This record gives sequence, C-alpha cells and structure tokens, in this order.
Amino acid sequence: MKKLFLKSGLYILLILIVLEAIIRVFHLGKDTPTRFLDEYKVEKWVPNQNGFSVTGNRRQNFSEFHINNSGFNSYREFTPTHDQTEIALVGDSFIEGFHQDYYNSIGKKIENNVPGIEVYEYGYAGYDFADQLHLIHSYKKQFDLIDHVILGIKFSNDLTRSEYKVVSGRLALDTPVNRLLKKSKLLVYCKSIGILDPPQELLYKIRKFIVSKQPEKQIDEKEALRIKDEKERKYLANFESLINKYGYDKNRFTLLLDSRITSPIFLSYLDQNDFKYIDFSNTFKESKRSTTLIYDRHWNNHGRTLIARAISNYLQHKDIRKSK
Amino acid sequence: MLFNSLEFFIFLPIVFIAYWYIFNKKIRAQNMFLLVASYVFYGLWDWRFLFLILASTIVDFFTGQIIHSSDVTKKRKAWLWVSVLFNVGLLGFFKYYNFFVDSWIDFVSVLGYDIKSTWTLQIILPVGISFYTFQTMSYSLDIYYKRLTPTKDFISFATFVSFFPQLVAGPIERASNLLSQITTKRVFDYVQCTDGLKLILWGLFKKIVIADALAPIVDDIFANYGSYPASTLILGVSLFSFQVYGDFSGYSDIAIGTAKLFGIELMSNFKFPVFSRNVAEYWQRWHVSLSTWFRHYVYIPLGGSRVSKLKSVRNIIIIFLVSGFWHGANWTFIAWGAFHALIYIPIFLMGRNRMYMNNVVAENRWFPTITEILQILVTFSLVTFSRVFFRSQSITDAFGFLEQICTNFTYEAYEHPLGYRMIDYFLLLGAFVLYEYRIRRDERAPFKFKSKIVRFIAYTLVILGMLLFFDDQIDRSFIYFQF
Repeated sequence: MKKLFLKSGLYILLILIVLEAIIRVFHLGKDTPTRFLDEYKVEKWVPNQNGFSVTGNRRQNFSEFHINNSGFNSYREFTPTHDQTEIALVGDSFIEGFHQDYYNSIGKKIENNVPGIEVYEYGYAGYDFADQLHLIHSYKKQFDLIDHVILGIKFSNDLTRSEYKVVSGRLALDTPVNRLLKKSKLLVYCKSIGILDPPQELLYKIRKFIVSKQPEKQIDEKEALRIKDEKERKYLANFESLINKYGYDKNRFTLLLDSRITSPIFLSYLDQNDFKYIDFSNTFKESKRSTTLIYDRHWNNHGRTLIARAISNYLQHKDIRKSK
Repeated sequence: MLFNSLEFFIFLPIVFIAYWYIFNKKIRAQNMFLLVASYVFYGLWDWRFLFLILASTIVDFFTGQIIHSSDVTKKRKAWLWVSVLFNVGLLGFFKYYNFFVDSWIDFVSVLGYDIKSTWTLQIILPVGISFYTFQTMSYSLDIYYKRLTPTKDFISFATFVSFFPQLVAGPIERASNLLSQITTKRVFDYVQCTDGLKLILWGLFKKIVIADALAPIVDDIFANYGSYPASTLILGVSLFSFQVYGDFSGYSDIAIGTAKLFGIELMSNFKFPVFSRNVAEYWQRWHVSLSTWFRHYVYIPLGGSRVSKLKSVRNIIIIFLVSGFWHGANWTFIAWGAFHALIYIPIFLMGRNRMYMNNVVAENRWFPTITEILQILVTFSLVTFSRVFFRSQSITDAFGFLEQICTNFTYEAYEHPLGYRMIDYFLLLGAFVLYEYRIRRDERAPFKFKSKIVRFIAYTLVILGMLLFFDDQIDRSFIYFQF
C-alpha cells in the first residue's frame, strides 16, 4: 500500500512538473502584470511590464501587452503638450484591451483613422466611473493638456459608488501569496479554464449548508420594478455626486455608451443637461459579424474597429485637431 | 455523485483508505463498509430511491432462498415470477408508465377518438434502475436454472446489488462473477490497484476529452438539423457515434477501474466496437454485459439458435426489440433495435455471426487489410446510421433528419457553435482512433508499454488532453444514466 502511495505521489509530482513546462513552452497560460497604488491612490499597473494575455484552453486568443511608463497598456507614452492634439480614452478592460495586441488597440485604430492626433488609453480592468473621474482629478495637470477625454460607461455597473475608494479586493490579487501562486503557470492556466471552479463551488455549498439562511423572499413584478427604479435613481444620484466631487468638463468630456443597455432615465438626464455622448449601439446592432470574442465577452477586432470608427467619426465631426 | 465530479474524487480516496486500513480485517466488515459507501454514493443523488434498491434487494434475496429450497417446479416458477414481476414492475412504473399511457392516447386518436389524459404522472426516473433490476433478476433466474446457490448472507447480497462502481450504469454483473467475489475476503494487490488507476485515467480521458468535447457539436446539429446540409448532418451523427462510445465506455472503464481498487474484477463492457468487421462482431464488443444478459436470460430460453431458422430469426428480432426498448421509453429506441435486427439477420443467415468471436482486426499484423478496412467502414456506417434513431427526440425528428440528408445533399463547412476550431476535434479523433487501434487486443490495459518513460509520456499526454478539452460550461452527466 505504501508503495502505491509513494509511486502515485511521485508520478503526480513529475506529471505536474512536465505540465508546468509544457504550459510555459507553448505559452498556454496568461501572464499577469503586477498592480500597485500610486501616490494619489490611483490603482494601475507597475510601469514597463510586457507579457502575453491568453484566452481559451487551446490558446484560442493570444495577444501581447505592454505597460507604459504611466502604468497603462499602450504602445505609446503619455506626454501631452499644448501643441499636439491628444485624446484620452478612459475606461475598464474594454479600453485596456489585454485581449488584443497592444499595437492594434482602439487608440491605434483611431490614430489611423484621424491622422495628426495621439490617443492615450487609460484603461484598467474593473475601473468604474468613480475610478475614472478620480484618475482624471488626480492627474489634473496631465489631463488639462489633453484636448478631449472619452469615458467609457456602462450604466448597470459603473455607477454603484458615489465617491472613490480604493478597491481592496482587486489589490488583494497582488498579495505575496497570490503572487507566489501566480508563479505557477499551470495553476494560472487551470484557474483560467475553470478547472478550479468545482473546489470553490464545493466550499461555497458547504458554507451555505452550515450557515443555513432564511429562504429568499419571492418578489413580484411590481416589487421588481420598484427595486429597479430605485437602483436607477441611485445610480443617477451617484453620477451627479461624482461629477460634483471630481469635476466634469462638459466641453472636453464625452461619454461612450451603448444605449441598448443604458437606462432611459439616464439617457434623458444626459440629453437634458447637455452631456455629450457617443452611442455605439446602432453600429453594433447593424453589424453582420460578431463584435465580441468567442471565449470572452470583450470586443473582438471587428468590435474594436467599430468602436474606433464611432469615436473617429465623432472627433472628425467635432474637428478636434489643433491647427498648427 | 458523478465519476467525473470533485465529490467523487474526495469520496473515492476516503473510501479506499478506510476500506484497506480500517475494514480490512474481516470480510463482513469489508462488505458492510462497501454497502454503506454504496448507499452514500447513491443517496447523494436522491436518498428516496434507496428504498427501491433496498426493496429489490429484499425481494430477490428471499425469493432466491425460496426457489432454491423448493423442489416443486410450480412453486419455484411462481417465486421466480414474483421476482421478475417485481423488478419488471418497478421498471414498468418508473420508466415506461407514461410511455404506455401516451402511446395508448396516440393510438386511440388515430382511430378518431380524442382523449385528454389525466393518467400521465410526474415520475422521476431513478438513476440506474434499468441496471440494478436486471442484475437482481439475474440472481433469481440463475438460482431457478440451478446455476447458482443463493447466499445466506444478506449484507453480501445487498453489496452485490448496490456495489457503487457499477450501480448506476453497469456493467450488469451476474452473481456467479460478482457475488462470488463479494463473499470472498479481498486482499490488497498492488498490480490490481495500479491497473485500476490506469483504467480510471483512460475512462476519464474518454469521457472528458472525447464525449464532452463532442457534445456541444452533436447537440447543435441534432437540435437544428433542419437548417444544415447533408454533410453537416452526417458529421453530426458520426461524431455522436464517438460521443456515445467515449461516454459509455469511459464510464465502464472508470467503473471497472474503481472496482479493481477494492479488489473486485468486473466484466468487460466494451471491446473496441469501432473496429468491428460486421454487426454481429459489433454486438460482441458493444455493451457486452447487456448483450450477455439478453443472450442468457431471453435468447437462450427462447431456444436461441438451436431451433429452426425461422424461430431463430424470431428470437433475434425479439432480442433486438427488447434491447432497444430497454434503452428508453421511446419509439426511437424500438426503431433503433429493429434496424439492428434487420442488419443482423442476413449475417446470421449467412452463418457469419460467430466468425470474429475470438480474434481482433489485424490479429497478428500491424495493419489491417483493405478488406478489413472496408468491412470496418461499412459496419461503422451502418451502426452510425442507426444512431440517428438513438439520438433523435422522436421518430418524427429521426425521419426529418434522414429526409434532410436526402433532400439537402450538399456540402458546407461546419462551424463549431462556440466558434472553436473544428480541426482540433478531427485531429483529436484521429489520434484517439489510432491509439485505440494500437491497444485493440486488450481493453483492460490501456497503458501497456514496456518502457516506463513511454508510459509516463502517455499519462502526461492524457492529462494534458483533459486540460486542453475541458469545458466547465457543459452538462457532465453520462448519457447512459438516462437509461
């Protein structure tokens, strides 16, 4: 019996080592850059990191990222001046674009469409509207030099906070233990393909079984509508609170949104108060090809091209370029 | 609890260690522990149905004793009927009741009567009922035919009925094989254990990599057959052949491997049916335990092949229809069985039904002959054709599927419903078939390599395959659980 355990243990260990090597050689697991909080308590990536982002069991989506000196994924450095025309794209993982090669980003596509401008992409996975305005507020000097700022917003989950606070949960991903675990590409790979979900689900089930809660109350349609309405009003109040606290330049700032998933209350608020926004819903709706990745809900190359086109058209329409 | 679930991978080592370290002293302790473990294993699905297993166990335990102790043929027969009626009654109620009611309603509606039935019931099919009822019935039948002496130990018999590795989807064991092992004290055997682990690994590969990876493609093609050309439909049903093979033979390998860990040898259930050279050979290699059951308890009592040709043909038709109906309460399965009878009978009449019984393709050669390749292709095509009925939701769908193949006989490249590269699956299947061909002589030794290094590489590749094709979004249950 001892022999069985010893030999099985040895085999398992050797197999794990070989699998770790295979995953590294074929780059099946994704690289995860290190994050940090800067002096303004802005969460971003540690500058000057390079790596590859991988999606799918069999490397179905493979792209390179490059974190610049400012701590964002971009092929350029952010050095705004009075003379140049600069555009900032601020947003979450959709703008950050780890699922695309950094030299083929939305910003790069806009630059190709509108010659003579520089596009700075301040994208970071998980950024909500509070993160975005806090970033702009913290780097006011830099952003004052930028001619136009476009902020990606998703009404349903970007306005849950009325003021900025450091998101400790995200930073916890960079604890020493987590960083150590991430050193194993096999572990990172297994996590990304969902093989480690069942143990987590089992723990959740056990916890739920031990701490048996009161059964959740069934809510009727009327009550559900009331809750939805209340939530939307709260999000609107959060929007107002955030722009009052961190400032919002209506002349220079434009929101980027999809009206199909945005509350009509919020849209009419924006219209009534002269907030500019780019609505890409029609472009996406009319697209005959899929706009998202297969293994992921993020925009694929076609989706990013459509977004870049929508922004480019908007900028050209506004004639944002400085005359030299 | 599924064999491919985390729960099982926690359950199995605990039971294994307790079995060999704590309960290894006495045979009674071993059996008692296996019985409890089996009831826990099954009860985690639905504890209410444990009472059905217990009832089936009690009925057959006592009918077996009575049949054995009596010399009066009438009495013996009467008690045999008690056992058969009880088990078939359980099956009939839980599996076939609604089917009979619905079929009756359909039949009278054809005659012009419209009846709104309130007789159909919301019945959950207890997992494994088709398997353990057949196993317990075989016990009473063997005693009746005086092939077996009943056990007086109820715990041993209950363990035989509910032995968890094969409780829910077989192999359907006969008491002469399994019960005799259960009534003998098991001793730890290193080689047997490692063989078991290898079979578990290979079974998991077949399930996770072959069956589960093909499932989304097959589901998509069968659900939307009306919008696909013939090329896609043929691809879909061919892939289903591999899916159902990977699923069920994978399950059987895990079951046989798990039983080995407890010192018990179960019968082989699959012997590489993909390489069958005619349909008769296919049935000697596919779901062997069920075929053997039907041969022993239905075909031979009906006279088998020792009666006139006409009666033998009748027996073959009965066997295949019953076998089809065993698979599910749906006309599709009866049609599937009927089709197999139809393609088996010519082989039987030509006397070619036993010619491949004791050999495999390319028996003493590396490569098969052209004739053998053609034979395999024809057999695979026929069996795959029958799978249209096996997989379709209804007879209408099955004929709709076939009609679409005939009326839309065009080629179009198929795209995976989730957008994955189809070439990955073709390469995977190619490699799988080649490997199965390599190991075709022994279904119980999937990693038979002399070199330790080669064996290690094989283990690693199998595990890597599982990682590369693992899909956390799909339903992981086994196809044969529904039967």
